[in-house]
Amino acid sequence: MLVNDPEAAHWPVDPARLDLVEEFRRRPRGPHSDALQKLLHRMRWSGVGQRHVLIVLEPNRRWMLGRLPGRRGAPVETFPNRVFTDLAAAEWAVFVLRWEALTGQKLEDGSSAA
Amino acid sequence: MTDTTAVLGYAWPLVVSPGEEVAFHLSSATLEEAEATLLRVRCADPDPDGPGLRLTAPGTPLDGLVALRHQPLHPGSCAIIPDAPALRRPGPLSVGCFLWPTAPLAGRQTILSRWRGDQGEGWRLGIDAEGCLEFEVGAHGQCWRVTAPQPLLEREWVFVGGVLDDAAGEIRVVQQSLDPQAGRDRSADAAAPGPRGVTWPEATALVIAAEAREGGETPLTEAHYDGKIDRPRLHATALDAAALRALCESLTPPPGDPNLIAAWDFARDIPTAHVRDLSANRLDGTLRHLPMRGMTGANWDGSTVQWTEAPHLYGAIHFHSDDMHDAGWSPDLRFTIPADWRSGFYALRLRARQGSDDPVESFVAFFVRAPLGQPRSKLALVASTATFLAYANSALRLDQVHAEAMLEGLLTLSRDDVYLQEHRELGLSTYDTHSDGSGWSYSTAKRPILNMRPRGATFNYGNDTHIIDWLEQIGQDYDIITDDDIHRHGAQLLAGYRCVITGSHPEYFSRAMLDAFDSYQRGGGRHIYLGGNGFYWRIGWHPTEPHSMEIRRGMNGLRTWEGEAGENALSFTGEPSGLWRSNGRPPQRLVGVGFDAQVFTRSYPYRWREEARDPRIRWMVEGIDLEKPLGDAGLRGGGAAGLEVDRVDATLGSPPHLLWLATADQLDYGGVPTLEELRTLHRGAMGDQNARVRADVAFFPTARGGAVFSTGSIAWACALSCDNYDNGVSRLTGNVLRRFLDPRPFEGFD
Repeated sequence: MLVNDPEAAHWPVDPARLDLVEEFRRRPRGPHSDALQKLLHRMRWSGVGQRHVLIVLEPNRRWMLGRLPGRRGAPVETFPNRVFTDLAAAEWAVFVLRWEALTGQKLEDGSSAA
Repeated sequence: MTDTTAVLGYAWPLVVSPGEEVAFHLSSATLEEAEATLLRVRCADPDPDGPGLRLTAPGTPLDGLVALRHQPLHPGSCAIIPDAPALRRPGPLSVGCFLWPTAPLAGRQTILSRWRGDQGEGWRLGIDAEGCLEFEVGAHGQCWRVTAPQPLLEREWVFVGGVLDDAAGEIRVVQQSLDPQAGRDRSADAAAPGPRGVTWPEATALVIAAEAREGGETPLTEAHYDGKIDRPRLHATALDAAALRALCESLTPPPGDPNLIAAWDFARDIPTAHVRDLSANRLDGTLRHLPMRGMTGANWDGSTVQWTEAPHLYGAIHFHSDDMHDAGWSPDLRFTIPADWRSGFYALRLRARQGSDDPVESFVAFFVRAPLGQPRSKLALVASTATFLAYANSALRLDQVHAEAMLEGLLTLSRDDVYLQEHRELGLSTYDTHSDGSGWSYSTAKRPILNMRPRGATFNYGNDTHIIDWLEQIGQDYDIITDDDIHRHGAQLLAGYRCVITGSHPEYFSRAMLDAFDSYQRGGGRHIYLGGNGFYWRIGWHPTEPHSMEIRRGMNGLRTWEGEAGENALSFTGEPSGLWRSNGRPPQRLVGVGFDAQVFTRSYPYRWREEARDPRIRWMVEGIDLEKPLGDAGLRGGGAAGLEVDRVDATLGSPPHLLWLATADQLDYGGVPTLEELRTLHRGAMGDQNARVRADVAFFPTARGGAVFSTGSIAWACALSCDNYDNGVSRLTGNVLRRFLDPRPFEGFD
C-alpha cells in the first residue's frame, strides 16, 4: 500500500528569505520563482500548522477561513471573522500563518493568527 | 450562505425513460417539510462569472410541499446468514478463519458471530479495543470471555479461532501468524472458564464481519470489522488448534462430516452478493453494502493476478466498516415522466427557510434518457454517468495529503464538502480511501451524491452542463444518452445519431462502452469529444444491479490509491481493470488524443498549427483568425486548455489521417505529466521544459463518412460562454458541430 507521507516535504526554509515573502505577497497566484515554488510546496504538502482552507460563502465571490480537523468525521473549524472577497488576499493571509508556523517569526504586515 | 445539505436524497432509478416512474428517497434530520419543484437543468454551475444557475420548471403535479422525515444511514459491510436450526445446535462449537485485519486498533470489531447485541447472548469471535483477538459466549444472563495475550498485526495474515468446550467448561482462542519471523509473530493461545451447557438465542442471524444489534432475518448490525476474511468455518465439536487450522486450510471440507455446520467459500459467485456454504446445511448468505470481492486469500502465491484463473486463491472478502452502497431509504415522492418530455439532466429542488439567513436549497439529480430506438434529434450528448459515479462524494480534498499541492492553491470547500467531512456515512468516491486506508473500488447511486447536482462541485457534472447551456444558446436540439445505457445497449444506441458529443471528462469506460464508440466511428458516426482525460480507466458495471460501477486502480496511472498486488481484476466481470492504455486501447486510438498532464496553476490558450490551414477542413476555421490564440478566456483558470489535458501521439494510436490543428504546449512549471508518461527518471519533465506536456486539438475522418474532433482539455467546456458566447472556442465548436450534422462525407483523405 503506497501512501503519501505528510512529512515528506522537507525543503529547508530560511527565515531570512523575506524576498520570497515579498514575491508571494505581490503575486500570490504565481507564476513563482523556483525558490518560492519550493517554499509553497513545503507549506502546501503538509498544510503546515494544520491545514487552513476556504469555505465558500458565495460562489466565486466570498470565502471564510476554515481549518481541517485532521480526523474524519470531525467538524471543519470555522473563523467567521475572517471573510475574504478576494482569493489573493486569502492566499496571503494563510501564507502569513504558515510562515510563522515554519519560522517562528511573525510577518510585520501579517494579520493576527486565526 | 445557501444550505445545500439540510435535506438530502437520491432518485431511483437514476436514469429513467419518458413514461416511466422515478422515486425520490429523501431524508432530513432537521426539517419537517420542504418545497419541492421538478426542474430541467440547463446550467448547474452557480459561478456568477458564467451563465449562472439556469433551471426551468416544466410544472408538474409533484411540485409543492413534501413532508420530510429522518432516514438514518447504516454503513458497514457484512454477510448475513439467516437463522437456521443448524446454527442453534447445542453443545460444543469451534469457529475459525484466516484474517488480514486492516484496522485492528479501530475499536471493538466482530469477525464471526451469532450474537444478540441487545441481549448479550450468543457467541462472537472478535477483536477488542486493544487489537486483541477475543472469543465471547453469552448465555443465561452471564458472559464468558477469553482474550489472546498479544494484539494482531495490521495487514498480516493470521489464522484465528474460537472454541467452546462445554463439557470441560472452557473457552479458548487460537491465533497463528502465517509469517512468524522478524517481529511479525503474534501467535498465541489462551483459555478461560466457559459455560457448561448453553442454550443459544432464537431468531438470530449469523453475521460475518459484524454482529446483530437485534433479532430477526435482516437485523441492524454493529461492531463492523475492517479487513479480509478467508475461509470461515463452523464445527460442532471442540477442535484442537491443529484440527481447526486444518479445517480452514481445506478448500473443500467434506460435506459428509455431520459435525461440519458451515464452511463458506467466498471464491464462489464473486460477481454477486451471495456467499455460498459448502457444508450439507446450505447456509448461504447475502452480502450488504458491497464489500470487496475477488480478493487474494491467505493462500495466494502470486501464480496468477486474475481471480478468474484460480478462484481458489481468491477466497477472501475485504469488509469495510464504512462501506455504503444502498442507503435503503423509503421513497417520499414518485413521479411518472410524461411521455412528451425531452431527454435531459433533471433535478428535484427542495427549498426551505426561504428569506432567512440560511435558506435551504438542495437538489436531487436524475436523468431522462432518450430511449433506445427513439431518437428525437440527430445529435446526442452523453451524460458521463460512469464518471459521475466514480467521483460521487469525493473527499479527496478533505483527506489526501497531495490535494493542495496538486491544485496549486488554497482548498476551497463548499457547504457540501463541509457536510461530507462530518458525514462519512454517505459513502465516498472511488478517489478516496476507506477509514482503513484501502481504496474505494465500487460506487453506486442508491445514496445521496453531493457532487452530481446543481450547486454541487463543478468538476464533471457542473462542467458538462456548460455544454448543455451552449447547445441551448445556439438553438441546437439534442438528446441525452447515458453511460449506463451505452454499456447496456452498445453501438446501436449511438447508431441512432449522426453526431455524438462526449463531455468535459468522459474518463471511465467499460469495454462494452469503448466497443460501442469504436463501432459507431467505424460505421460512419461522428464523435465530438469536448474534454480531457477521457477514455482513461477501464471499469465494470454490476451484472444485474443498475448504476453500480467498479474500478481497480492497479499500479499505474494517476491513482489516488494503489491497488494491492493480485487484486486488480474487476469482481463484477472478471476483466482486468486499470488504464485502457495498459489494456491495449489507448485513448489516442479512439479519439486521436490521450491524457498526458494536469495543469492547475492556470489554463492557457492554444496556438494554431499549420495543419489548421489545410483546405480540406476550411469549413472548420471559418470566421476564426488563425493568427490569434484560440481560447484565451475561460471560467476555469482563464483559458480553454487546462485542468487535465490530452495530446496527440502516433505511437499510442493517433491515426495517420489525423490533422493536429492546435496545441497548448507552453504549460510552464504547473504542467505536470501523468505517471504513465514517464519511463525513466530524469529532471525536466514538467511543462516548462517538456513539449509533451500539452493539450492538442485534433480532427480525423473515420470509415464510411465518420469523423472525430477532439479538444483535449477539461477546461474547454467552461470557455464556451465567454464574451457572451462569441469567442473562438464557441465558433470552432459550432463550425464542427454544423459540419458533423451534415451527412456529406469528408473528402480528400484517401
